[in-house]
Amino acid sequence: MIDLGTVRRLATAALANIERHRRRVNALNVYPVPDGDTGTNLEKTMQGIVAELERSTASTTPQLAADVQRAATMEAKGNSGVILSTIVRGMARVLGERERVDGEVLAEALRAGATSAYQAVKLPVEGTMLTVVREMAEEAELPEVRSLPVVDGLARVVARGDDAVSRTPELLDKLREAGVVDAGGAGLVELVRGVLHALTGEPLPEVPDVTEELTEESIHHEESEYRFCTVFVVEGEGLDLDSLRARLEPLGDSLLVTGDASIAKVHVHTDEPDGALAIGRAVGVVDAARVEIGDMRSQASEREQWLAQLHAAAQAPPTDVALVAVAQGGGNRELLRSVGAAIVIEGGQTMNPSVGQLLEGVTAVNADHVIVLPNNPNVRLAAENAANESTKDVRVIATASVPEGIVAAFAFDRETDVDANEAAMRRAIEDLSVGEIVRASRDATVDRVTAAEGEFLAMLDGRAFAADADLWVVLDALLDRFAADGRSLVLALRGEDAPAGEEIEARIEERGLEPDVKWGGQPHYPLLLSAE
Amino acid sequence: MQLTRANTAIVLDSTSDLVDARERHANMRLVPLYVLFDGESLRDHVDISPAVFYERLAAARNLPTTSQPTPGDFLACYEELAGAGFERIWSLHLTSKLSGTFESARRAAAELGGDRVRVVDTETVSLVVAMLAEAIDRRLETGTTDEEIDELVQRFKRVNRVVFTVATLEFLQKGGRIGKAQALAGSLLNVKPILTIEDGVVVPLGRVRGRQKALAEFARLFAEGTEDGEGLHLAIAHANAPEWVDVLTDMARKVRPQATLDLVEPLGAVVGTHTGPGAVGFFWFQD
Repeated sequence: MIDLGTVRRLATAALANIERHRRRVNALNVYPVPDGDTGTNLEKTMQGIVAELERSTASTTPQLAADVQRAATMEAKGNSGVILSTIVRGMARVLGERERVDGEVLAEALRAGATSAYQAVKLPVEGTMLTVVREMAEEAELPEVRSLPVVDGLARVVARGDDAVSRTPELLDKLREAGVVDAGGAGLVELVRGVLHALTGEPLPEVPDVTEELTEESIHHEESEYRFCTVFVVEGEGLDLDSLRARLEPLGDSLLVTGDASIAKVHVHTDEPDGALAIGRAVGVVDAARVEIGDMRSQASEREQWLAQLHAAAQAPPTDVALVAVAQGGGNRELLRSVGAAIVIEGGQTMNPSVGQLLEGVTAVNADHVIVLPNNPNVRLAAENAANESTKDVRVIATASVPEGIVAAFAFDRETDVDANEAAMRRAIEDLSVGEIVRASRDATVDRVTAAEGEFLAMLDGRAFAADADLWVVLDALLDRFAADGRSLVLALRGEDAPAGEEIEARIEERGLEPDVKWGGQPHYPLLLSAE
Repeated sequence: MQLTRANTAIVLDSTSDLVDARERHANMRLVPLYVLFDGESLRDHVDISPAVFYERLAAARNLPTTSQPTPGDFLACYEELAGAGFERIWSLHLTSKLSGTFESARRAAAELGGDRVRVVDTETVSLVVAMLAEAIDRRLETGTTDEEIDELVQRFKRVNRVVFTVATLEFLQKGGRIGKAQALAGSLLNVKPILTIEDGVVVPLGRVRGRQKALAEFARLFAEGTEDGEGLHLAIAHANAPEWVDVLTDMARKVRPQATLDLVEPLGAVVGTHTGPGAVGFFWFQD
């Protein structure tokens, strides 16, 4: 006899186990939409079912089955919850007709669950919860499993479920690309495992560390502006992972804090590894022997980085046309890459790249046509020489500054051909106004503007425009001019010794202009600007 | 069957952002989706207003997630309407490609039995769904039929237009709702992606730098896609970005002086979770 008390106990055990695994399952969630809520949805759906069971007064098995079916339908949360509810409904339909459960009934119930799940989904996709429930049903249907006592049969079903989950990446590309197993399938197995352990009375296995499945490799794919990859373990009592995370967050990026209240593993990219360790020591014991600090910058010399960049560009999918740009300053190079440059060569005013290096870049990109943005008058000639040397069709758009290059690059579209791109990029900078603020290295009079050594000199479209000991005075002069000319959008790239971005933004906005202020990192020029 | 306001109800979900549906029309209901903030489940527009939501979002350490109404939520609403004597219920929902809401409603309709409820996947989202509800209601006022409403719905799917932009693509990305607009991601500049909904998914139309150019792009698309007239209905929805309302209203008046501006509303917590603050949508439908 399947009675209400037993069903409540088993459902509660299933819920307890999915609660333990919620975070891990959320972290796995990439399919169908990577919104990290599969664990939560399964938990909420199960919570709803348990709550309905608490209210139920069913005295017969068919009544109980009807209550469970209704609860499952009504409480389904999210995609995974809906599929879970159809599985539960299918199983309850079979179990409601039986007086007792043996291996035969288990097989029949799982098959009914799997069938109803497949029917509920318009286009069944393999490598998901569907695959896992189907394989669990297939396991139960094996002749040698059918004849086992139901607890032993269920143990086989859970083992097969684990196996099916581990094979989901073979069936679904999205999972393989993300390097994870299916979240819904993993959650489903945990629900069944909860039931199994309630029946056997055995303790549940530990929750696997989230980092194992997230893979640190995937984190290292992101480029970091920080220098030290820092990994350590904190042991203690009542560790609050969220608060640990919040305290570590300001120190860097690629932060991962995993574990539980007694042991936490921390991974962070930071410039202050000692600061990160101190935060760990404030809440628990950090075993010095297990601290790993890697210097990510020393890991690749400049030449190695350049070769890596060439290699990456060569491996990129082929396009009709690729973009090669030249810039000084880490921020500027990132900005150019973010708007589509396949290769950004280090260089500018004081450090001109060689024709050979430009040629290397042009040769490496996986395209027959190349557009080069020299972004400095002193680099233009080298770019043109490289264009002549190359066997590829190379067009040089003679951008004279980095903001001009960025505006041109923004018009670049790798999906269209070289002629359309060249035309669109030239059009984008046709009417662009460029401002540069540089510190005078000696007393000088340029274009009838006199600047003393150490003073700020503002250039407008290549001609000296204003000079003053106060940077704000020359910036205001430039911005007033932009406003008077009816410009609307100002891009400002902050270089070494630049003032704070907020103050620059405020001055741009004061004049009714729209600001886009970014860290460029170029030497010698505290500010580079363009106005459209 | 002759359908009227007396015998036909319209059910919307809260992503239509027609907050006061029931106050506007006695035969309209709004079923809330859920927004989950650190494990706390809140009903969109019921337990959490847009104003409170954007305040909380700004301070939140973990981004919220969202969840569709349960079939039980819809069933309760349908049962209430059936009990009140409505013989026909048109239930209009956001695109099934971005949410399981339509599916939930369909299940509830099946659970209710009979053919009282017509569940529609509008293949779009936000205020334009409310505009469809208003268009159906205009027909109910003079009397209509299921066939006429069905025709209207099909025409609506062909001709309605949503154009929107977001302050950052981060929220669409984190919510997994970005689709093909993924191609626009990655730029570090102040980029306004120009997005639309096509066949139920988010599709990029282009990207521009800065608000002024975004506005110009909205105006261009609006002029290209419409003809002037009172039958042209408009709506504006924004995620805590009221500065857009006047500029878009002015733009609309200049481009199509005779058009009717039906609705200006803040985007609720659920849609706001996926667009992030600073998003603005401009909707039109030639009825």
